[in-house]
Amino acid sequence: MNRKITRNLLEALAIMLVIFFMVPLVLVFINANKTNAEILNAPLSLPENWGTIWKNIANIWTNPNIRYSKALYSSVIVTFFSLAGITIFSAMGAWVLVRTKTKTSFAIFMMFVAAMVIPFQVVMFPLVKWFGTFQQWTGIPMLRSYFGIIVAYIGFGSSLSIFMFHGFMKSIPLDIEEAAYIDGCGKVKTFFLIVLPILKPIYVTVLILNGIWIWNDFLLPMLVLGKGTPVQTIPLAVSNFAGAFVTSYDLMMTAIFMALVPVVIFFISAQKHIIKGMVEGSVK
Amino acid sequence: MNKDRRNQKIAFWLFLTPVLFSFFMVQIIPFVIGVYYSFTNWSATAQPSIDFVGLTNYMEAFKDATFLYATIITSIYTLANIILVNVIAFSLAMLVTTQIKGRNIYRAGFFLPNVIGGIILGYIWQYIFNQFIPTVGGIIGVKFLTDNLMLADSKTALAALVIVSTWQYAGYIMMIYVAALQNVPRDLIEAAQIDGATPWQRFKAITIPMVRPAFTVTLFLTLVNSFKQFDVNASLTGVGPSTMFMGKAINGTTLLAMNISNTSLVLRNTALAQAKAILFFIVLVIFSLIQVYYSKKKEVEL
Amino acid sequence: MKKLIILISMLLVAFSLTGCAPKKTVEITFKQNKPEIDAQLQAFAAAYEEETGVKVNIVSCGGSSCSLGDMLRSDYAADEMPEIFPIDGIEAYNEWATIIDDLSGEEWVKDTDVSFKVDGKVVGFPVSIEGWGMAYNADLLEEAGVDPATLTNYDAYMAAFAKIDGMKAELGIDSVVSMAAGPGMYWVTAHHNFNSLLSNGLPYGDRSVVDALLDGDIDETRLNEYADWVNLLFTYADNTVLTTGNYDSQVGAFLNQKAVFLHQGNWVDGNLTAATFDMAFAPHGSSKTATDGIFVSAPAWYVVNKDSENAQAAKDFLEFMVYNEIGQKYMVEEAGMIPAFKNVTLQPTGKLSKSVMAWAKAGKIFSWQQYNFTGDFRDNTLGPIYNQLASKEATIDQFKALLKKALEDNAD
Repeated sequence: MNRKITRNLLEALAIMLVIFFMVPLVLVFINANKTNAEILNAPLSLPENWGTIWKNIANIWTNPNIRYSKALYSSVIVTFFSLAGITIFSAMGAWVLVRTKTKTSFAIFMMFVAAMVIPFQVVMFPLVKWFGTFQQWTGIPMLRSYFGIIVAYIGFGSSLSIFMFHGFMKSIPLDIEEAAYIDGCGKVKTFFLIVLPILKPIYVTVLILNGIWIWNDFLLPMLVLGKGTPVQTIPLAVSNFAGAFVTSYDLMMTAIFMALVPVVIFFISAQKHIIKGMVEGSVK
Repeated sequence: MNKDRRNQKIAFWLFLTPVLFSFFMVQIIPFVIGVYYSFTNWSATAQPSIDFVGLTNYMEAFKDATFLYATIITSIYTLANIILVNVIAFSLAMLVTTQIKGRNIYRAGFFLPNVIGGIILGYIWQYIFNQFIPTVGGIIGVKFLTDNLMLADSKTALAALVIVSTWQYAGYIMMIYVAALQNVPRDLIEAAQIDGATPWQRFKAITIPMVRPAFTVTLFLTLVNSFKQFDVNASLTGVGPSTMFMGKAINGTTLLAMNISNTSLVLRNTALAQAKAILFFIVLVIFSLIQVYYSKKKEVEL
Repeated sequence: MKKLIILISMLLVAFSLTGCAPKKTVEITFKQNKPEIDAQLQAFAAAYEEETGVKVNIVSCGGSSCSLGDMLRSDYAADEMPEIFPIDGIEAYNEWATIIDDLSGEEWVKDTDVSFKVDGKVVGFPVSIEGWGMAYNADLLEEAGVDPATLTNYDAYMAAFAKIDGMKAELGIDSVVSMAAGPGMYWVTAHHNFNSLLSNGLPYGDRSVVDALLDGDIDETRLNEYADWVNLLFTYADNTVLTTGNYDSQVGAFLNQKAVFLHQGNWVDGNLTAATFDMAFAPHGSSKTATDGIFVSAPAWYVVNKDSENAQAAKDFLEFMVYNEIGQKYMVEEAGMIPAFKNVTLQPTGKLSKSVMAWAKAGKIFSWQQYNFTGDFRDNTLGPIYNQLASKEATIDQFKALLKKALEDNAD
């Protein structure tokens, strides 16, 4: 009985907190249903016509200067391959760093951690310059290409990801891997068949944290891809809504809402894997 | 055995190559170039030649009162943020890992603020601080709320920054705590329960030690990200209401990252900005080392 | 899993190879800082391509989400500087001076008074003409019984403000003036308003006050009268808008007839399309003597990158804008700008733009001199000083002292 009351109280608390956290998001949704004039006059009032959001979405989707569908495609490509690269490469790196107890290994790990401290301003222009130089030397297109932006995301995302993988891998018992070795698995097989599945909850977390950042990032694509070039991610494509003087808040709110939907779907489906991973872990 | 060790070594580097390549390409090499530029008169614009100027930029950075002020308020902001974000994130993580219904929805709800960035974040929160709170204050009859606009004074504007960044960032840190809390074996807690341990005892003796490594991660992350804060600063308070500092009126909520960005774009001295950023890096490294040292020490003590 | 990696790496290579199509036609890139006219400019560029076969890539970066300064620096690092980009004054010119082309030989030079000149050479193509003064709601002024023609000096404004302030309820307004001095709005105070001190009442192009101030030689009477004017504006402004308002809330108060005056320029026309009342500009009242005129100049100039092999194509494009009907229509009718060229006879429809043109036609204009002070001085030194007065952290006497000291320090 007592437990039930506690649980109800906790649920009530959770609902209240979620409402508090969601207020600004609800405001985004409400305002995505308004015209710009309505937003400027009364951001808090309910929209006159709830259907306006469809008009705003159609407005963004069909605008020939935005090319939303193309930007959506680019954003999906960039996010997908960057995430795949970040999780797989960082997990691989973190694994050998954890399992190899040498000075070199420790130094490399510390370098990844220390790099998280680097202010982005230090590297932003040198990065562009270096990418350009590298491109000239090798002929590999780094600027204005998918390859360049994906390498950039893997590079910037690797610090946090290695840091997190490293922290959690320490707690995985060695004997599982050793058993696999004895079974005749090679290093590569052991990693992909044994280690990676155990890491599921943590790599899903890494995916979520990096995914949100990449999906919404503006500055790095602006530097590496450039604005108005053939490859445009969604944040680049919709950035003209904020003018020097005239700002289209209606379209900005709608654009945020449109960017939010895939994130929510991604998040909720990824969450299931965290829970699943947890259950599997406890069975073992 | 020797061959085995060599194979080990090859595997070590093979596994590291992809991530190290990207990492060097975008972080290490540009960083080294960036450090070099801080000793020159580099402008990032069209200039006849880039000349070596020694420590001039660093000297100038030390003389700059706005940089000193930015360092002070960034430290205050960071400290407040670390405490608030972690207390709230940990509480939220505890809440959403209990057996309540719909905990997935709550997690999503707490995490979503992360998705709103840029101008819209500023627009909505400015409206909440400038209009919504005074209106509510008027309705419930609290004169303090109607007369004091949080964003109009540099001290309260800094507090507003902490509030909004906590709102934005707590769900993010919560995710890491959630991952850590799920590593706590259920049977251990159940066993303790059967032994008659009170919830507080269970929390102190089992939960805290089990998630201790996560604290090192989350504290480090909040420290670094608060110190590097730019987005919320730019969209919510901008350079901030002015305040008097060393006899001069200066911008009151310009955190370090924004001070550096303005040095490049408004003062139009990119090399000085670069030197400031390097100093910023050094300060942050020191802070992080202290933090990691204490966290690790605590880990050992327990 | 292995297969997946191979697949991924193959796809990465495949993607990296796209985007290297060989260029055939002449292509120029035009970067500009007003995203709100991006669509119009794109349409114009498309029409231009149809007419001449030259492709013009339009890239807009400005407002609060995109920094043109960052973008140009990044383009420069990538060795992809655009053929045409804007500068807003001498500081921006100096940053790119080594790659900016001499445009003295262009045909449009003879048709404008406001080109950007350095050492006698024309280097900048004026984007448009803009002007600011005290924008007023003519309907509300009439209701209040104030004749805008009398508003030419401090005393007239003081009397008018006091009178209107006493009629707030009848007029349905919150405040007399819509003024902004909060963070992010220092361009209103420390750039535009500050210019009253520098050029109000002086012949067009007169640098006497500017040069004296740059030398630290301060005319205290002029400074004090100016400071009183600032104080007057702040006193009769709505506190929330004054201390925390952004551009939209400042203009919004005027649009919704919650304020009679607006301290902005004719660019607000784009935000006031829904306005039902009549409006125009009155002079600033920054001195005791009458100053009958408003501040008019070109706000920015397009420059041409001389290092580009297509520099000539860029010049042709600018010329087309001035002398071809399609270009003129774009500038004036589509983008709503006041043309900076005498040969263009089209006129914008915005009420405040018309008012600027009327003042200019009467020859009652004062220059923009604020750019003779660095952006750093205006934004990081002056802006916070105005903000101190606005938030009542500083009294009017402290404000005067701070202003004086800042100008003295700047001269050192």
